[in-house]
Amino acid sequence: MTIAPSRPAEGARVTGPGSGPTGTTDDRPPDRAVVLLHDVTKAYPNGNIALREVDLLVPEGDFVFLVGPSGAGKSTLIKLLIRDELATKGKVLVDGQDLAHLRRRHIPKVRRKIGIVFQDFKLLQTKSVWENVAFALEVTGTPGRQIRPAVDRVLALVGLSAQARQTPAQLSGGEQQRTAIARALVHDPRIIIADEPTGNLDPLISWEIIQLLLRINELGVTVLMATHNAEVVTALRKRVVALEEGRIVRDEVGGAYHRED
Amino acid sequence: MITFVAFSFKRAWQGFWRNKVMSLAATATMILMLVLLAGFWVLQTGLAAGLEFVEQKVQVVAELHDGLPQSNIDNLIRDVEAQPEVLSVEYVSKDEALQRFRDRQTQLGHEDLTKVLDTNPLPASLQIRLKDAKIYGNVVTFLRSPDQSYAVAKVDPVESYVDRLLTITSVLRSGGLVVLGLVGLTVLFIIVNTIKLAVVARREEIEIMRLVGASDAFVRWPFIFEGALVGVLGAALTLGLLAVVGQPLSQVMTGFFEVLPLQLGSLTRDLVLITVGTGVGLGMFGSWLSVRSYLGR
Repeated sequence: MTIAPSRPAEGARVTGPGSGPTGTTDDRPPDRAVVLLHDVTKAYPNGNIALREVDLLVPEGDFVFLVGPSGAGKSTLIKLLIRDELATKGKVLVDGQDLAHLRRRHIPKVRRKIGIVFQDFKLLQTKSVWENVAFALEVTGTPGRQIRPAVDRVLALVGLSAQARQTPAQLSGGEQQRTAIARALVHDPRIIIADEPTGNLDPLISWEIIQLLLRINELGVTVLMATHNAEVVTALRKRVVALEEGRIVRDEVGGAYHRED
Repeated sequence: MITFVAFSFKRAWQGFWRNKVMSLAATATMILMLVLLAGFWVLQTGLAAGLEFVEQKVQVVAELHDGLPQSNIDNLIRDVEAQPEVLSVEYVSKDEALQRFRDRQTQLGHEDLTKVLDTNPLPASLQIRLKDAKIYGNVVTFLRSPDQSYAVAKVDPVESYVDRLLTITSVLRSGGLVVLGLVGLTVLFIIVNTIKLAVVARREEIEIMRLVGASDAFVRWPFIFEGALVGVLGAALTLGLLAVVGQPLSQVMTGFFEVLPLQLGSLTRDLVLITVGTGVGLGMFGSWLSVRSYLGR
């Protein structure tokens, strides 16, 4: 636990009760945090409280597994980060920007700093792989001459250069997810948020996707991955943040999927 | 900016053709509604023209004493013409009055009984046209005043006739406008719903656009342009349709309303403006309404 006192993140609880050796292994100051949640509570209008007093700090370059049973609040946390929902209480900062005080027209700019990947890929079936990736740039007003090299570069990175002209229906699940990851990367985001990216994939392909995310992380992109995949989490010994009933019950570096006492 | 406009047009065009069934359904609805609207508009304008024609027929008739010297008649005509409400004054002499009566009897096929008379029983009169049929009061009061009694024998009681006619024409006018307004609202409602279906079919695309950080304008304007495209196409086809059936229809109408000077031909320019304007306006407004709910929060 190396968060310097007197920083805004002071008191951010990165350790859960009863967790083992903890810390975010980083010596960068907290203002380099890509994601910072402080005392965040999210209550939905129907009275359901999805998150309770959550503190979370994700420094730049970190790789974080977000685990917990269904309904524990993982999806809500992701929705808060992409400002699909607003916190009822507390602060949510992405790349230093307080999302609560973000003007409507500035929301898209924050979203471009986040690359998001879903379990169901969310690809457009009528477009080719290349067009799906280029789409993310087109709809944000990128001039045409910049689109081509950027798309070619990320497709090479995820290893899909050969499949660029195919449509999602012609691809395997793993290739579709790699397309989605390429699309998430094409804006050069500060963080990749992956919501159950391997949920629809068989174990072998899941490992491929994880390897790809690890490689992207090595290139300096922060990765936050919500998952149920215990085998992967336990094997990789990365930082694990566990949610239960809206609270962070564990936050340990080098953790397993389940608590090890 | 150029990137944005080019992008929006390209996407609108692609969106229109990628979702052919929905786009053509929207266009068909648009044509149906525009034909309805244009039809009502033509009827309404025809009606208005007819009513105007009828109202123009309203005139105040002042019967004159027999044997008035010409100077008195000239004075009276000058005084009446000086009234601000008066459009024109026509003097009908006794002989002319008799001739008109005879002509009308002949036209109606009645036997001319005036031949048996040895004198002319019809008075000379002033036939006064008004600028606005509704404002007849001052002219009538002026003619009935004792100052004019040296010449004016009697003023026809136009009041009840004019009042009744004006009530009918104003009811018909505002009734026509109300119907036109209702048709317009129906058009808007149906168009909005049709476009909404087209938008719903593409909600996945909208969701992805928002997730990758597209600004509202990039989400909205392709749809608005697409709505405009539906409007232009619908209006063009509607006008084509009207051009084909318009000529025979206009002949039928003119034959039917023989008494009324209906001129459908002269409405063309206004009709084009109204049809294209309504089509494009409704298409864009409908799209804007439909996309709005997806941009929320």
